[in-house]
Amino acid sequence: MSASGGDPVHQSFLAHAQFRWAKLALALCLLSLVAYLWHQPVDGANGGTWLGYTLGGIGAALILCLLWLGVRKRQYRSRLGTVKGWTSAHVYLGLSLLLIVSLHCGFQFGLNIHTLAYVLMVLVIGSGLWGLIAYDRLPGRITRLHGGGNREAWIEEVLDLNEQAIGLANALSPEVHSRIVASADKLQLGGGLRAQLFGPRRKQGGDGLRESLEKRIAQLRSGPSRGAATAPGEQNTVMFMAGQLRQTAGGEQEAAGIQKLLDLLAHRNELVARINQDVALHARLQLWLLLHVPLSLALLAALVAHVFSVFFYW
Amino acid sequence: MGIPRVKIAIVGSGPAGLSAAARAAELGIPHLLLEAEAHLSHTIHRYQKGKQVMAEPAQLPLRSTAPFAAGKREAILQAWNDSARKLGIQVRYGAAVSAIRASSDGFALDTTSGETVEAERVVLAIGLQGNLRKLGCEGEDLDLAQYQLDDPEAYRDEAIVVVGAGDAAIENALALAAHNRVSIVNRRDEFDRAKKGNSEAILKAIAEGRIQHLSNATVAWLRQDAPGQGRLCLDTAEGKAEIACNRVIARLGATPPRAFVESCGVNFPSRDANAVPAVSARYESNVPGLYIIGALAGYPLIKQAMNQGYEVVEYIEGRSPEPADALLLAAKFRVMPGYQSVEAGIARIRERIPVLAPLTSLQLREFLLDSEVHQVQPGALIFRHNDYSDSFYSVLDGGVQIQVDEAESGRQIALGSGQFFGEMSLISGRRRSATVHAGPAGAVLIETPRGSMNKLIASVAAVRRVLDETFLLRAIQAKLAPGLDAAALRELVASASLARYAAGELLFREGDPGDCLHLIRKGSVTVARELAGREVVLAYVPAGQYVGEMALLTEQPRAATVKAAVATETIRLEASAFKALLSRHPQLRQRINDTFGQRLVANSAVDSQGGGGVVQFLMNQGLGEATDVLLIDEGLCVRCDHCEKACADTHGGVSRLDRETGPTYEQLHVPTSCRHCEHPHCMKDCPPDAIHRAPGGEVYITDACIGCGNCERNCPYGVIQMGVTSPAQPSLWRWLLLGGKEPGAAPGSADKGAAKKAVKCDMCKDLSGGPACVRACPTGAAVRVSPDQFLQISRGTDE
Ligand SMILES: Cc1cc2nc3c(=O)[nH]c(=O)nc-3n(C[C@H](O)[C@H](O)[C@H](O)COP(=O)(O)OP(=O)(O)OC[C@H]3O[C@@H](n4cnc5c(N)ncnc54)[C@H](O)[C@@H]3O)c2cc1C
Ligand code: HEM
Ligand code: HEM
Ligand code: SF4
Ligand code: SF4
Repeated sequence: MSASGGDPVHQSFLAHAQFRWAKLALALCLLSLVAYLWHQPVDGANGGTWLGYTLGGIGAALILCLLWLGVRKRQYRSRLGTVKGWTSAHVYLGLSLLLIVSLHCGFQFGLNIHTLAYVLMVLVIGSGLWGLIAYDRLPGRITRLHGGGNREAWIEEVLDLNEQAIGLANALSPEVHSRIVASADKLQLGGGLRAQLFGPRRKQGGDGLRESLEKRIAQLRSGPSRGAATAPGEQNTVMFMAGQLRQTAGGEQEAAGIQKLLDLLAHRNELVARINQDVALHARLQLWLLLHVPLSLALLAALVAHVFSVFFYW
Repeated sequence: MGIPRVKIAIVGSGPAGLSAAARAAELGIPHLLLEAEAHLSHTIHRYQKGKQVMAEPAQLPLRSTAPFAAGKREAILQAWNDSARKLGIQVRYGAAVSAIRASSDGFALDTTSGETVEAERVVLAIGLQGNLRKLGCEGEDLDLAQYQLDDPEAYRDEAIVVVGAGDAAIENALALAAHNRVSIVNRRDEFDRAKKGNSEAILKAIAEGRIQHLSNATVAWLRQDAPGQGRLCLDTAEGKAEIACNRVIARLGATPPRAFVESCGVNFPSRDANAVPAVSARYESNVPGLYIIGALAGYPLIKQAMNQGYEVVEYIEGRSPEPADALLLAAKFRVMPGYQSVEAGIARIRERIPVLAPLTSLQLREFLLDSEVHQVQPGALIFRHNDYSDSFYSVLDGGVQIQVDEAESGRQIALGSGQFFGEMSLISGRRRSATVHAGPAGAVLIETPRGSMNKLIASVAAVRRVLDETFLLRAIQAKLAPGLDAAALRELVASASLARYAAGELLFREGDPGDCLHLIRKGSVTVARELAGREVVLAYVPAGQYVGEMALLTEQPRAATVKAAVATETIRLEASAFKALLSRHPQLRQRINDTFGQRLVANSAVDSQGGGGVVQFLMNQGLGEATDVLLIDEGLCVRCDHCEKACADTHGGVSRLDRETGPTYEQLHVPTSCRHCEHPHCMKDCPPDAIHRAPGGEVYITDACIGCGNCERNCPYGVIQMGVTSPAQPSLWRWLLLGGKEPGAAPGSADKGAAKKAVKCDMCKDLSGGPACVRACPTGAAVRVSPDQFLQISRGTDE
């Protein structure tokens, strides 16, 4: 794994015990291959020969061991190896199945329950490889996304920013206020699987709110100069200046308030995006298991059917 | 009306004082119980609502006229109130005693309410909680000012000023800020006295404008304009500033009762803050007629305090009942050959073991109550080199053989009756530096846990001196000059002095003249050098090692800067004496040269690998005092949280680690999890002494925990929680087949009424094969290592 860190204290499960399981799986494959090439049954290689039975038996035993990972992983008191060792064995022995089972059936495929089992196995292995890639790529991306922070703190900050935004909006106008409240209510973090993976369907951060607020700022900022254009007579200048100042100050104050609100919303939306990205990365770390595990169970069922059928109907 | 006069005046109505008053009332002795507050037993009154109060130590029988059994705080207070009424105890509430003056025929006690009481005898039972420190300026007693905060939810939309920068002040300010406008007044501009989590939280709240920080300010006065309306004036560098407020909450800690006790004429044996006044076996202090019992006398539990209350009245009445703890002592002493009675046993110990001779009878009794007496067979193993135990042993009979170095098995030291061992680990907090077996004639040993020993060291200066001197000689022999005897080392030992450094303080700086060598006795240091204008940490040196030899060997100025990583104590050896020793013993010079050479190689390896950043990061996380820490490689961690689930499943459903929280440097993440500190802060103030260290180094909490929460507060790393564990865990097969709770999930509806106790990582010491979190990690992301190991490996010297 790329990210086994700079320190040799941490060692990836792939390298567990100096690649013990990789070596073992490789040896198993070589041995099967040699036996297969050497063994020349009269009616061609298939599951029914003694070698076929042997390889089938090994394959089935391996599948059961691989399935057992789901159990061992949760037997927290078990002293039977470490889960890291089990995962290492799981990956390498799982990959070796591809060869062992192919040799078992002598590449005889058809439209039957036997081939269904085979196909399921290939799918399980494929999803396993996907998982391996996910495990390799995503953890580093999560760390980089976090950059020292964490999701809980972000969520807290978002809630906090919402409150501040509502406070600011309250000072501006009832209309802005109600729209900010609505936008805060509509915020969505995570959600169902689809939302977790691809982000919420709804656009975040208030539809058109930003545009209308920006327009208002522009209005306010250009307002006083329009006033200056209609300057009245001399004697009123002082009064007028004071009025304009008041107006400018008022307008500038409102503009500044809106600007602050906009900055705040931008920051909030950026945080929300980051949270949803974090949720998506976490979901993707688990997503493949949603295939891997049900497919393994289907494989188990098909395997039982296969063995049952060859013993009783053959 | 004249001044009231009683036979016994009892100051403080905690369990100790109350029990004394109950016995006096039962016997019809004229007495008066003086209590500062408006209710009995303020310390228990202040416990959290509904707290389950525990009756430790379980084996100790209760001997008191007042009732006490484990139960809810409310029930216990109720029972005491009832009992006080039924027995006719004379109580004066709101009567804080401010002075006790001895006179020719007894004592006169002044109370803050202006009353004076005369008594023949005084029983002082004011506990250790002390008085809350007040603002100390005009207005400190106004209704506007309060010194405690029970329920932050009770206040809304107020302007509140919190005064103080400790954990209590910060926690209050943060809680109040949810619904109020809060400012915090800080005498300085940092919050470094507080726990890291708290100081980070408050700085964040300040940065976000949720709390206003009034830094470098002190309170000048507080004035009330209208009820719930006032002004607080602050002294700042720029002058005075007034702020309007509705409420001032000052959290300034408590003044320990020591000053008051000393003002009554009572002596304390040392200046150490943990010292307790010396009292006789009958609880009488050095002031005749003034008795001291309960927590103030060094007995930190309710049952002990109540027993003493009963006994002290018996003693005053001239009777001498056998103390209630005699039963416990007898059980311990029974293994002593020729055991006759508790009294004889204590006398024998006092006369045999000189280091215990300076103890008062009461101290010795307490010491023995905490200790175990072992009869050890000839040749039996007592502890092994590298074990992590830290108890202290005194040899009562027979002797032991100490084998300092595994490799040089020839070098054995024999200790006989009256001597002691085990002080090295006690002081340094590190693994045992030698293997110890019982001698050919066997041995009778007294084993004392670390906590009691530290209390003793704090209380009895003579004990501290003897231990320090012995440690010094043995440490030099073990680490610097193996094989040399005390005579050869005399000059060096005479030059030695003890130096203390706070975390971050410099021992010496690059370029300083090399005038001494430091043998680190406790704590750890980092060695850093200036490279390209930046300070790069090259190495971490733990207790038991020395630093500063380079400059002495090369006669050059210091080549590096050495800084204490945590609070550190070193033995400072003067250069001249050290050089003289080296010139006399060339083999020693060789040995030190070798270490020196290794260090040079190691340091240049760090330079070239740029590993200094990691060392610095880990030191900043307080790993300088850790013995074993959970480190997660985030590049490998798939965030499956099986580490947490494994922890919860093997520990009553409560995970003791929080994977997600904690800082990360590059890919290295330090989750919130116990580091099993060399000198665990959590042990510091545990009334039933329920926190221990196992031989494997695991710091764990026993069932004796009374749930007081001191350890939770004292741990600077926030890894202790108060929780309820449930014995039954979700079943794996039920989950696989039927669904429902997955193993490792929180048990949800744990028994609500169950007592909350402190829970923390015990490194799965009761499971073979190591910590469950590490064993459950599918990818190898989680490891537990000692920092020595980790840093040495990352320096590339240990291959
Ligand atoms: C949070 C917490 C939980 C605990 N839980 C337990 C438990 O479950 N089981 C257990 O056995 N122990 C427990 N302890 C320890 C226990 O509370 C103490 O051992 C016990 O209270 C000591 O009793 P005491 O009578 O010596 O002193 P205290 O109980 O402290 O009583 C001292 C009394 O003196 C009064 N006083 C002080 N100064 C003066 C003065 N100048 N004039 C007049 N009166 C004065 C105080 O108001 C107070 O009422 C706990 C401690 C804490 C802090
Ligand atoms: C106990 C273990 C097994 C036994 C006893 C066994 C037995 C057999 C037998 C006797 C045949 C020959 C049937 C025929 O020629 O029609 C066969 C074929 C086959 N087996 Fe297995 N098998 C086992 C495990 C497996 C496993 C684990 C897989 C894959 C998941 C598998 C996949 C196949 C396939 C694809 C065929 C070829 C079917 C065909 O000929 O059309 N077998 N097996
Ligand atoms: C037929 C073969 C396989 C079967 C039956 C199988 C079955 C399983 C099962 C039951 C789990 C437990 C899931 C859980 O409880 O969370 C699992 C996990 C896993 N499998 Fe497979 N698997 C097979 C092959 C593979 C292969 C070939 C790979 C990789 C190339 C692989 C990679 C993994 C990984 C990485 C995990 C997750 C480990 C963890 O996070 O704890 N599997 N598999
Ligand atoms: S068990 Fe390992 S991979 Fe899973 S969360 Fe914990 S450290 Fe990460
Ligand atoms: S609980 Fe805290 S203080 Fe105690 S050993 Fe663990 S990290 Fe150290």
